[in-house]
Amino acid sequence: MESLDAFFNPQSVAVIGVSRNPNKVGSIIFRYLTESGLKLYPINPNLDEFMGYKAYPSVKDVPDKIDLAVIAVPSKVVPEVLRDCVEKGIRGVIIISAGFGETGEEGRRLEEQLKEIIRGSKTRVIGPNCLGIYVPRKKIDALFTLRERSPRPPAGDFVYISQSGAAGVAFMDYAAHYGVGVSAFVSIGNKMDVSEAELLEYFAEHEETKAIALYLESIKDGRRFLEVAKKVSKKKPIVVLKGGRTSRGATAAALHTGSLAGSDAVIDGAFKQAGIIRAYDEEEIIDFARVLAYQKPMLGPRVVVVTSGGGYGVIATDYIESTYGDKGVGLKMADLTEETKEKLREVLVPYASVNNPVDLTADVTDEQYDKALELVNKDPNVDGILCLALFQTPFVTEKLVDIVEKWSKHGEKPMVVVSIGGTYTQKMIKEMERRRIAIYPSIWRGVKALRALYERGLYLKRMGVL
Amino acid sequence: MDVKDVFEIAKERRALAEHEVKSLLRNYGIPVPNFVVIDSPEDVESINLRFPVVVKASSHEILHKTDVGAVRLNVKDPEELKNVIKEFKEKFKNAKILVEEMEDKNLEVIVGVINDPTFGPAIMFGLGGIFVEVLRDVTFRVVPITRADAEEMLREIKGAKLLEGFRGIKVDREALIKILLRVSDLAQKLEPVIDQLDLNPIFLKESGAVVVDAKMLLRRSE
Repeated sequence: MESLDAFFNPQSVAVIGVSRNPNKVGSIIFRYLTESGLKLYPINPNLDEFMGYKAYPSVKDVPDKIDLAVIAVPSKVVPEVLRDCVEKGIRGVIIISAGFGETGEEGRRLEEQLKEIIRGSKTRVIGPNCLGIYVPRKKIDALFTLRERSPRPPAGDFVYISQSGAAGVAFMDYAAHYGVGVSAFVSIGNKMDVSEAELLEYFAEHEETKAIALYLESIKDGRRFLEVAKKVSKKKPIVVLKGGRTSRGATAAALHTGSLAGSDAVIDGAFKQAGIIRAYDEEEIIDFARVLAYQKPMLGPRVVVVTSGGGYGVIATDYIESTYGDKGVGLKMADLTEETKEKLREVLVPYASVNNPVDLTADVTDEQYDKALELVNKDPNVDGILCLALFQTPFVTEKLVDIVEKWSKHGEKPMVVVSIGGTYTQKMIKEMERRRIAIYPSIWRGVKALRALYERGLYLKRMGVL
Repeated sequence: MDVKDVFEIAKERRALAEHEVKSLLRNYGIPVPNFVVIDSPEDVESINLRFPVVVKASSHEILHKTDVGAVRLNVKDPEELKNVIKEFKEKFKNAKILVEEMEDKNLEVIVGVINDPTFGPAIMFGLGGIFVEVLRDVTFRVVPITRADAEEMLREIKGAKLLEGFRGIKVDREALIKILLRVSDLAQKLEPVIDQLDLNPIFLKESGAVVVDAKMLLRRSE
């Protein structure tokens, strides 16, 4: 068994710290885990039985093999139960409990003690001070937040690894609301043992995972992280949102270089070298992870905009062509070939624009969207497509979703879709998300997603992968 | 001066003198002006440098030389040089006297190294003068860098056009790329002891490049 498989593909799980009180962390986790169909062992010295499962005083009293243990007991008791896990030969342990390195000197000492306990053993630890993990396809829900207020996202194509518990819960809630799926969610807490680099390596080989999103506040062993990221990013895209800035030592400002490194300029360079796509806020990390999981990389900077609203085409053009960082993404508007323009003229209304942006006008039909997307896909001057699928015009129907899905999945060129609007449009957006179309509710977000595909393409070309 | 010598020095002090950095750079194939280190005004007769020269009081204790008047530019002949040396010997008793050929430039750039707490040695590149002082137009990479990294660094600063012959200012990009690669290599070798390195300014010419000023801070190696 792969070292981290115990966490994400276990056959049997023990929950240490279930309690008669159903609202205690251990009880919540156990309750949700009952849906997984895995062999479960509630651990509590004061219980004989929990939710119909035989309870044991310690994991050592369980007669069968245990792959994964989830620890949710007060921090002072953690060393003792962790020692039991090591003696039982449990491969994966998730320590939910807080009160360690994050709290101060005493907590740090306690965390050191935990490291000592697993040293030299086969037991690996995620946490402490974490939220747990969630693997929807295996119905493993080892999170202690209540579903009523913290709904879980459906099964999807990217893993979200979060150093912050709160940012993780907020992400899950947001993703669930918009129907954005995840292949797994991992809250890594204090990272006393399993590091972000190891998780990158693991998810590089994880079949259901097509992209990796990481929210990090600190990076453990930066050199190793970069080496691993460099290898993994040749295979799968990595998006990182890095919170917190590097603090430098006392001599930092002595020389010029030191004073200029004060910002996160070093991280910027390091991420570029490792092919990591950098997100700057909590929305970008999801937007980029989705597009990178759903779409292929862009091989050049030339974008065609297909729209039924001329105004939106103009706004998109501004974003596409403006300098990167300056309310723009520094891409180019494609010059369509004469052949494409001629064929577009044949299918569109006479007052439509066949230049880029291709303006289908408010009289557009589903068929015209279909034909236009077909033609721009074939144009050799086009590297990527921005399709503004607007549902307000009279001759467009729900079929537009099927058309967009077809070209998004089977077209030659990468495509990002933008739909703007209220209740009806939101319904369409949710449906498109369900079908793994890279859909965005604003032009700016859609254009930035294209930029992420472009950066991905640049990196793969530079590395000789493409 | 060699990498080994730097490791030795790091045991007792936290900085190198400029002549030490320059000697290290020269041995490492990073171009510096022709220079000599001399002790007394009499030695002037035997030096073989092209005038005008620059005179500097070089010591690990003087980090910012211009602030204390430890640099004299445009010294035109041996007579003037003798006088400056006499003056510096009196004023900066513990310093060595560094005499180097004065260089001219088409463009100034800066290359530096810091030892980042997360990623270890990282190399910086930017345009010199006001571009770095005011606009902070610089870019970093973790070492070692590849040729592709170096080229990307040159392309991604805001003032990139100035390196591409803007308004007829011709500069030797290849010489600059070579410096970046050599510095990356050096920084990697010095990883346990290097804290910061500033090559500032580097003069870029139509053909070639030369490191005009160089500072290096050291840290205690573990």
